[in-house]
Amino acid sequence: MTSIFRRGELHSLAAPYALDALEPKEHKRFEKHLGRCEDCAAEVRALREDAVRLAWSTAAPAPAALRDRVLTAVRNTPQDPAPAAEPRERARAERPPSRARRSSFSPFLIPLASTTAAAALVVAALFGVQASRTQDRLDQERAQAREITHVLAAPDARAVTGRDAKGRGLGVVASASQRAAVVTGAGLGSPADDRVHQLWLMRPEGKPRSLGLLDGDTPLIATGLNPDATSLAVTVEPSGGSPQPTTAPVVQLALESLGFGE
Amino acid sequence: MEADELLVLVAGGDQKAFEDLYALVSGPVFGLVRRVVRDPAQSEEVAQEVLLELWRSAARYDPGRGTALAWVLTLAHRRAVDRVRSARAAGERELRMARRANGPAFDHVAEEVEAGLEREWVRRCLDRLTALQRQSVTLAYYDGYTYREVAERLSLPLGTVKTRMRDGLTRLRNCLGGVA
Repeated sequence: MTSIFRRGELHSLAAPYALDALEPKEHKRFEKHLGRCEDCAAEVRALREDAVRLAWSTAAPAPAALRDRVLTAVRNTPQDPAPAAEPRERARAERPPSRARRSSFSPFLIPLASTTAAAALVVAALFGVQASRTQDRLDQERAQAREITHVLAAPDARAVTGRDAKGRGLGVVASASQRAAVVTGAGLGSPADDRVHQLWLMRPEGKPRSLGLLDGDTPLIATGLNPDATSLAVTVEPSGGSPQPTTAPVVQLALESLGFGE
Repeated sequence: MEADELLVLVAGGDQKAFEDLYALVSGPVFGLVRRVVRDPAQSEEVAQEVLLELWRSAARYDPGRGTALAWVLTLAHRRAVDRVRSARAAGERELRMARRANGPAFDHVAEEVEAGLEREWVRRCLDRLTALQRQSVTLAYYDGYTYREVAERLSLPLGTVKTRMRDGLTRLRNCLGGVA
């Protein structure tokens, strides 16, 4: 195979390279060559700009939910240092989460089993933005992380989030086979002093079942979910919670897309 | 602010700059990824990985090697092509082809978009290439085939495909050059 990498031949790979049309081995060889060949670098640069024109013409508005996910992930993702440079001082600007909210309720789905990256993003999103955490909180989260991992690792684990016009919503990762879900509230704010947010499992037959109290952005792990469950709902209840909802839900999220409601 | 300046700020950890950069590049990134990957759910996944990677590796952008947009879209294109190739390797090819055969859904969606003038010109300039130039370029760039696969599909010698790719891109440049 080495014969095809003679100088002239290598040079002719500039266009396929600019189009990302080289096989991995050739790609590596050519990049090595680029470092030594100024003409090639200049040509590749020009050809790349041509290819970018092809890219530009395909532009399409990205789904609104994508923005939320990416910005949330960005707030929870450290940056790589600059290559071969002194480690730069990275002033991590502490900014509050964007106040810009979507105007419509927009659920989206990520098949978790297919990419670990997606799973990592969900975990990051679940833990939300917390500049400083107490040790207790960290321990608690670590224990929860184990259970969350368990849910995420299920082959049928799926994530869904939804928000209403006021930016209030729920993020859920659930596995129908494990009958378990990890739930976080988003944009719910704090209820009045003597009130709490209580999470309910809604079923077509039978009364709502309490899954526990939602505390800020702390993930709540719900187990033993009924396969016929249709949705989750959050209500404002007196401190300590209620045996049955006493107010209308502030947010609701359908579970159908997560494999429930059979 | 231009993408070039924003990337420098993003490399310094500026989240507000990232939001501005997102506004600038998310459409092109998503559109390109969708064009190559086709499957909507997978396209979103790949676009998300790319956009997050912009944040993570902004410091790697080297202005000496091209414009910021070229860097961003090159990254997006590579990730999209990687995804398509591994899907093909995993034997999903038939499935994808079947999906594609299902109609012009994507092109239709793309029509709604406002890349308007540029899209129109690129299309027009692509039309001015010879059929082999156009196929060589688009099979590689939009469909993620390697030049060896392109040669196979078009029953052309490797050398010819490489030349068609270069001539095609150069001709595209000359044609588009008159526009900007």
